[in-house]
Amino acid sequence: MGTMGTTNKKRSFFSQKICRFCADKAEYIDFHDVKALKPLISERGKIVPSRISGNCAKHQRQLTNAIKRARNIALLPFAVEH
Amino acid sequence: MRSYQSVLILKPDFDEAQVDEALAGITELIQGYGGACLKVDKWGKKRLAYRVKKNRFGYYLNIYHTCENEQVPALEAKYKLFAPIIKFMVLRLDDKELERAMGSGEAEEKAEEGENKEAATPEAATPKAEAVAEKTED
Ligand SMILES: [Zn+2]
Repeated sequence: MGTMGTTNKKRSFFSQKICRFCADKAEYIDFHDVKALKPLISERGKIVPSRISGNCAKHQRQLTNAIKRARNIALLPFAVEH
Repeated sequence: MRSYQSVLILKPDFDEAQVDEALAGITELIQGYGGACLKVDKWGKKRLAYRVKKNRFGYYLNIYHTCENEQVPALEAKYKLFAPIIKFMVLRLDDKELERAMGSGEAEEKAEEGENKEAATPEAATPKAEAVAEKTED
C-alpha cells in the first residue's frame, strides 16, 4: 500500500499520511525556500495542520518556525490581501 | 562572539551599483560593532508578500556575520535608521546552523540539480496520473 502513494502523488497528497520532509530526508527546513513552504499554507495564508498534511510532529514544528520567519521578512503573507 | 544572520530588504528601485554601495555601508555598520561579514548572498529582487512602507517589491540581501552579543540591539537600531533598508530580520545562529550556512554554497548547487531532476519528473509523471484519473472516472 505504501508504494501506491508514489504513482499518483498529486491526487493523494493531502490524504497520504507520510511526512514529505521525512520522505525527502530533510533534517532542516529553510525559511527562505518559499517553493517548499507554499504548498503547506492555505489559500488564506494559514499553516496547514499536520493532521491534514500528514507531517510528523518534529517536522511540523520546524515548519511552523520556518513559516513564521518567512512571514516576518515578507516572503509569505500573514493574511491574504484583497 | 556569536554568529548572526541578517536578512535585509532594500528599496526595490536600486540598481547593482546602489546595492553594492548600501552593502558597503552595512558592512561598515557591522564592523563598527566589532563584527565581521562571513558571507553575503544577494537573493535579488523579489515580490513582497505584503506591502512594506508602501513597496510591493524589495531587493533581498542575506548576510552571515559575527557581532558582539550586547551590541545586537544597537545594530538593529542602526538598521532601522539606515535609509536604504525597508525591513530587516536578525537571527542568531547556533554552531550547527552556521556550519550549514557556510557549506550552503555547495548544497545549493546540489539542490538546484535536484530541482532540475524533480522538474523533469512531474512532466513525465503527469500523463500517468491523468491516465489513472481517466481510469477511475470510467
Ligand atoms: Zn518528518
